Amino acid sequence: MKTLYDQAAHELSIKRRAFLTNSAYGLGGIAFASLLNKANASDGVLKKLHFPVKAKRVIHLCMAGGASHLETFDWKPELKRLDGQPFPESFTKGQQLAQLQNTVLKARGAFCDFHPHGQTGNVISDLFPHMASVADELCIIRSMQTEQINHDTAHAFMNTGSIIKGRPSMGSWLLYGLGCATDELPGFVVMTSAGKTGQQPVSARQWSSGFLPSKFQGIQFQSKGDAVHYLGNPDGVCQSTQRQIVEEVKRLNGIFAEDHVDPEIATRISQYEMAFKMQSSVPELTDMSKESPETLAMYGVKQPGDGSFASNCLLTRRMIEKGVRMVQLYHRAWDHHGGLVEGMKSAALDVDQACAALIKDLKQRGLLEDTLILWGGEFGRTPMGQGTGRDHHILGFSVALAGGGIKPGSYGSTDDLGYRAVENPVSVHDLHATMLALMGIEHTRLTVKFQGLDARLTSVAGNIIKKIMA
Amino acid sequence: MSLRLSPLPWIPLVLASAVFAEGKVRFNRDIRPILSDTCYHCHGPDKNARKGELRLDLREEALKPAESGDIPIVPGKPEKSSIIDRIFTKDEDDLMPPEKAHKSLTEAQKALFRQWVAEGAAYEAHWAYTPLEKPPVPEVTGAEFAIRNAIDAFIAAKLVEKGVRSPSPEADRAMLVRRVSLDITGLPPTPADVAAFVADPSDAAYEKLVDRLLKSPHFGERWAAWWLDVARFADTVGFHGDQNQRVFPFRDYVINAFNSNKRFDQFTLEQLAGDLLPKPTTEQLVASGFNRLNMMTREGGAQPKEYIAKYQGDRVRTIGNAWLGSGMTCCECHDHKYDPLTQRDFYSLSAYFADIKQWGVYADYSYTPNPDLKGWSNEHPFPPEIEVDSPYLKKRQTRFEGELAKHLTATTKRLDGDAKQNAAFAQWIKQVQAFAKANPSGWLTPKPTVVLMKPAAPAPKADGRAPRPAKSAQPAEKAASDASIDEQSVIRLARLPGKGESFRITLPMGAGRVSSIRLEALPGPKGESDLGNGAQRQGIRLSASVKPVKGAERKLAMHFADADHKSVRYNNGDELPGVTNGWKLDPLAKGTQTSVWVLDPNQPVAAGETLIITLDTDLLVPLRLSVSPLADGDPMQVASAAMLKAVKAGDRAALSEGFLLATGWNADALAKFKQLHNEILLCHNGKAWTQVTAAIKEPLTIHILPRGNWQDESGPVAVPTTLGIIPKLGTAKKNQDRTDLARWLCSKENPLTPRAVMNRLWKQFFGNALSLVVDDLGAQGEPPSHPELLDYIAAEFRDSGWDMQHMMKLFVMSATYRQSSSLRPELREMDPNNRLLSSQNPRRLDAEFVRDNALSVAGLLNLDDIGGPSVKPYQPGGYYANLQFPNRDYAADTDERQWRRGVYMHWQRTFLHPMLANFDAPMRDECTANRSLSNTPQQALTLLNDPTFVEAARVFALRLLNEKGDDATRLTRAYEYALARTPKDKEKASLLALLKTQRTEFAKTEDDAVKLLKVGLTPVCGDCTKPAEVAAWTTVCRVLLNLQETITRY
Repeated sequence: MKTLYDQAAHELSIKRRAFLTNSAYGLGGIAFASLLNKANASDGVLKKLHFPVKAKRVIHLCMAGGASHLETFDWKPELKRLDGQPFPESFTKGQQLAQLQNTVLKARGAFCDFHPHGQTGNVISDLFPHMASVADELCIIRSMQTEQINHDTAHAFMNTGSIIKGRPSMGSWLLYGLGCATDELPGFVVMTSAGKTGQQPVSARQWSSGFLPSKFQGIQFQSKGDAVHYLGNPDGVCQSTQRQIVEEVKRLNGIFAEDHVDPEIATRISQYEMAFKMQSSVPELTDMSKESPETLAMYGVKQPGDGSFASNCLLTRRMIEKGVRMVQLYHRAWDHHGGLVEGMKSAALDVDQACAALIKDLKQRGLLEDTLILWGGEFGRTPMGQGTGRDHHILGFSVALAGGGIKPGSYGSTDDLGYRAVENPVSVHDLHATMLALMGIEHTRLTVKFQGLDARLTSVAGNIIKKIMA
Repeated sequence: MSLRLSPLPWIPLVLASAVFAEGKVRFNRDIRPILSDTCYHCHGPDKNARKGELRLDLREEALKPAESGDIPIVPGKPEKSSIIDRIFTKDEDDLMPPEKAHKSLTEAQKALFRQWVAEGAAYEAHWAYTPLEKPPVPEVTGAEFAIRNAIDAFIAAKLVEKGVRSPSPEADRAMLVRRVSLDITGLPPTPADVAAFVADPSDAAYEKLVDRLLKSPHFGERWAAWWLDVARFADTVGFHGDQNQRVFPFRDYVINAFNSNKRFDQFTLEQLAGDLLPKPTTEQLVASGFNRLNMMTREGGAQPKEYIAKYQGDRVRTIGNAWLGSGMTCCECHDHKYDPLTQRDFYSLSAYFADIKQWGVYADYSYTPNPDLKGWSNEHPFPPEIEVDSPYLKKRQTRFEGELAKHLTATTKRLDGDAKQNAAFAQWIKQVQAFAKANPSGWLTPKPTVVLMKPAAPAPKADGRAPRPAKSAQPAEKAASDASIDEQSVIRLARLPGKGESFRITLPMGAGRVSSIRLEALPGPKGESDLGNGAQRQGIRLSASVKPVKGAERKLAMHFADADHKSVRYNNGDELPGVTNGWKLDPLAKGTQTSVWVLDPNQPVAAGETLIITLDTDLLVPLRLSVSPLADGDPMQVASAAMLKAVKAGDRAALSEGFLLATGWNADALAKFKQLHNEILLCHNGKAWTQVTAAIKEPLTIHILPRGNWQDESGPVAVPTTLGIIPKLGTAKKNQDRTDLARWLCSKENPLTPRAVMNRLWKQFFGNALSLVVDDLGAQGEPPSHPELLDYIAAEFRDSGWDMQHMMKLFVMSATYRQSSSLRPELREMDPNNRLLSSQNPRRLDAEFVRDNALSVAGLLNLDDIGGPSVKPYQPGGYYANLQFPNRDYAADTDERQWRRGVYMHWQRTFLHPMLANFDAPMRDECTANRSLSNTPQQALTLLNDPTFVEAARVFALRLLNEKGDDATRLTRAYEYALARTPKDKEKASLLALLKTQRTEFAKTEDDAVKLLKVGLTPVCGDCTKPAEVAAWTTVCRVLLNLQETITRY
């Protein structure tokens, strides 16, 4: 069955068609340039949005470890009355518990007081006086529920809407759908900080792009060393040499492309450009020396770039100004199985002022109106005590939203003991659907085919909560 | 067949993927994808989701009249078929699919549908589930294609069908040798390989090359990386604290399996059921570690049942993805909406794994007790495990033992040549001889006094917060009652020390040296070890100091301690050698247990000074302390019969090690001794533990969980059963186990496994899989671009005896494989993604091979060994800061392990090495059949600045400078190393210009050049006298290592 094959004749025919190369795969001058632009552009897949755009960017202030709703936003006088007494079994029978498995359950009332604030009358714990001062910017959801009771899986659920690994996180979905407004910074940035107690590990899985290409992954900014991995030139290499290398790589890649058709080459060239830009734009971004003393004081930043939550908040504002699509801050300080009183006080001190400052600062710069802020943990904590603390809890907890398109006030509530969301329960999928809606996206229409399914952030669920939208 | 319409003229070729709607409409190719994507959700296999009683996935159902009397499909009569009505209607209420489904049909799709009904609405069984038969090889006539084997015939036939009459030319030989080397071994060819291949134009030369590559020991390393993605192999458990797991021998097994070309059916059987085979070999047990590669948790508060459900679900999805090419995920909660896979199938597969010994939570918490893991901490490994030989570790240990022996010989020689030290040695020998004479056992047991130290009373804090315990301890007021001491100097502590407390034991001694301390734990009153009440968490910890007559105590550092009996202690899964950081007794040992603590060299104790031992313990056992001036690297040899004999004889060679340890007479010699000694300890006598599957007698009962809810066990019980859509195994036992599952997966009747595996393998050689969606061959996947070819290679694979290398050779011997990889612009419209393979496809190297290639080009890659524990290349600092339980740091390897292949890199699931992550390596949290491929700025930054690549560039530069010739010659050589070709004039000119500029610049800033040449651990050597020259060449080499061509196999 062999057919005679004449290599020489064939090469001749290839040469004849070589001139066609330029037009079709775009390696001629103009087409080449346009390919470059295309690779560099940060358009999302959604060419037309489904709803009016209320928010363009998202900041997720993640109170990692699971902040107690009962000491933040959910005031339960009845729970305080029952403090130390047996917790009514009618609430807990047959429900999931974490470390309280196989123990006697006793009620634990809030150790702090609560007061209403502002015109909304939003009731906020006294541990958060600064947040209270921006009460009228907040929409507090007191009826959150999640499905996962352990940290790792609960974070994954809060980020990806799924407990199966390998799903894209919220920020990756946003980048995939909407692209990014900056071409010199990553579009999805993550920073972490830690408190004195209540720390739990947080995995890079939480900002993974999952089955989406890695260009949509969250980029973690480090507080020590290079802000972004491999950002700094090697020792002994000056900016001029680095530039020459990037130029030379570009030139040689171009020479190779002259007689080898592969569109990836053009993409590669543009990625080197972007990388080189990042090498100067990221240090510019993280250099906060020009921030005024007033600004530093407002956030409570002691030393800019010290890796504290406050410093990260200030850096967040700078990123938002530059067009970063999503910033996620994890403050690892809220897992108070024991030492709730000291732990909550200390963690609140870490974040309260900076969160409020971020809201105020964005507002005074006109950015709050189209920036959506989510404040909350991966779950809440039990109204039952666990030693000197509280256990994980998933049937009712609180989050707060602020900024782009939300209606200040509150939504939903838990029962008298703060155990279960009873009025307008909000699932994680509902929260995601609503956040996407504020970004102009109908959540069922941002999908990617994966293993045969139209995978999406909201899995097969999600209702938009119109009542919290302005 | 009644009516036959000609294709509608306006159907544009817009169908997804490689569908070409010309001629007769075909169900599998044209209609099924539309039905599946837009209709099956409500009218498919899932009965609970079905709307209006209408089912379209089965022809007989679709032809039945509905309650309304409408008939969904009337074959040959689109005008009478209600579904045609419903998809064309303008009435929004009737329109299908409804608007809320967000799945509108294009006009072309609607027309196709109508045409299909008009042509008789023939259904075909879904291609992936149809029995696998080897199709005939097509004849190709009247075209220029070289047909080297059947693959080429299938490819050419399709191209000819599309009007393409000529292939791409064969890639030039240099590119071809690079391509096939990178594909088969993951390593670039050496310039000599290239020259030899280019010099031999015979047809046989290529086959010879291929055969050589397939026999290379590095073949297995390259293909292990491929399999480890689906095996979800990692070094850590993934959930929560992401602790280390011990399982590297499994990777060795996979490497060896590829190298020995183990039949794939046997490979399958050993991994899924190695432990159930009759008299399983160690290798088969190691292979069964596959079932243990699911993520695991040790998080406090995790619910065992929930996590068992997760572990089981992972195993089912893994079977689905790795073997069956079927997404099983949906079936955990409900019947599949698109494919004939049911929820029962999911739990029936899960039931095969119900016998695996596992814990939902790998710890013993009060709230989730696991008595069999009592005392387990975050440092512990994840049982069950077995201990196996590691040839790598054995070889390493032998090497270090050789070095140590040499070192000691050299040290003794050195003594001979040093008059002063030689005299000191003689003096020391005299002293120990005198000691041994006075104390024939080699040990002196002084009568101790014991005091309990209490923490200093903490001062209350001004702000009222709880005070922190003070660091310094002070003696308790009533010491005497805390311990008793008998005639034999046996100490009996009255109670365990409390928090912050410790026992301070004073040993009066004469003048002389103390080099070793012996601590005996004596049997309790009943004769056996009495380990007290508390769990042994840390055991007994001991430190020593000397109290002078006046002034502050001198602390004595510990060199190494070991014991004749002990329980193993761990550091994040690693077995700690010896007992230096705490001695946990062996609860099973009878009689006295003895530990010996060898001190670092110290000054002799002067007359009147006393030895102070500080002891912390969580055990109450009778203790006795002794001291000796003797020392040895192995504490258990101190005062051994052999040593005492040597002392008596004054055997210098035998005693020089002891003299070195006791006195540290030569700091360098001691440091080297310690380093080699430590390396030997870490080789664990050439043994390693590895996770395996152990079957339990009473398997878990697996219920079908309604909606996948692990708390709801009301569903029926599932027993091990294979998928309903594939014929059952004739030979299966009544009560099936994992062996039956494995045999069914690779049975003659199972068409899915060979199709799925060959489809994935094809992608490795041709850039795209034949069916693009490698992890879903079902209705939502993609019909293959060349269905007959896929069946051909699948059948060939099965019929060849599941012979992997045979298939790889078939692939690479084809003319299709050997074509130029320059895409063909003139065919772009017709075939934008080159699915028809009118040329080869370039493939960017996978993460591991981006690394291997750069190191290999530099001459830095360590290919000395195959297998062994994971290695730790440079990694940015602080990357694990967010990891806890235990807290940890990353210590990069400082020896030749630094430059081992990427397949050996430590795989931390929650924080994958940034280089791997940036180049799209998966975290391996789940079975990953498909690596996505991206092109990002992070990749550029990695190649530009990651020390691994910078070091490779500077070592590459030295390699070039060691070659003879001028700049141009060296540059040509650089191209031969990096790209297996010579540079074009343009390239040469450009780089020579860069070199010149760089020379000038680095000459001006020589300090910078020196800094650059210090990146990485490789000693700065070679042309050290001209740092600017090396640095300038380093710049050139950095350019080369950053080229798209370098990281791509063209």
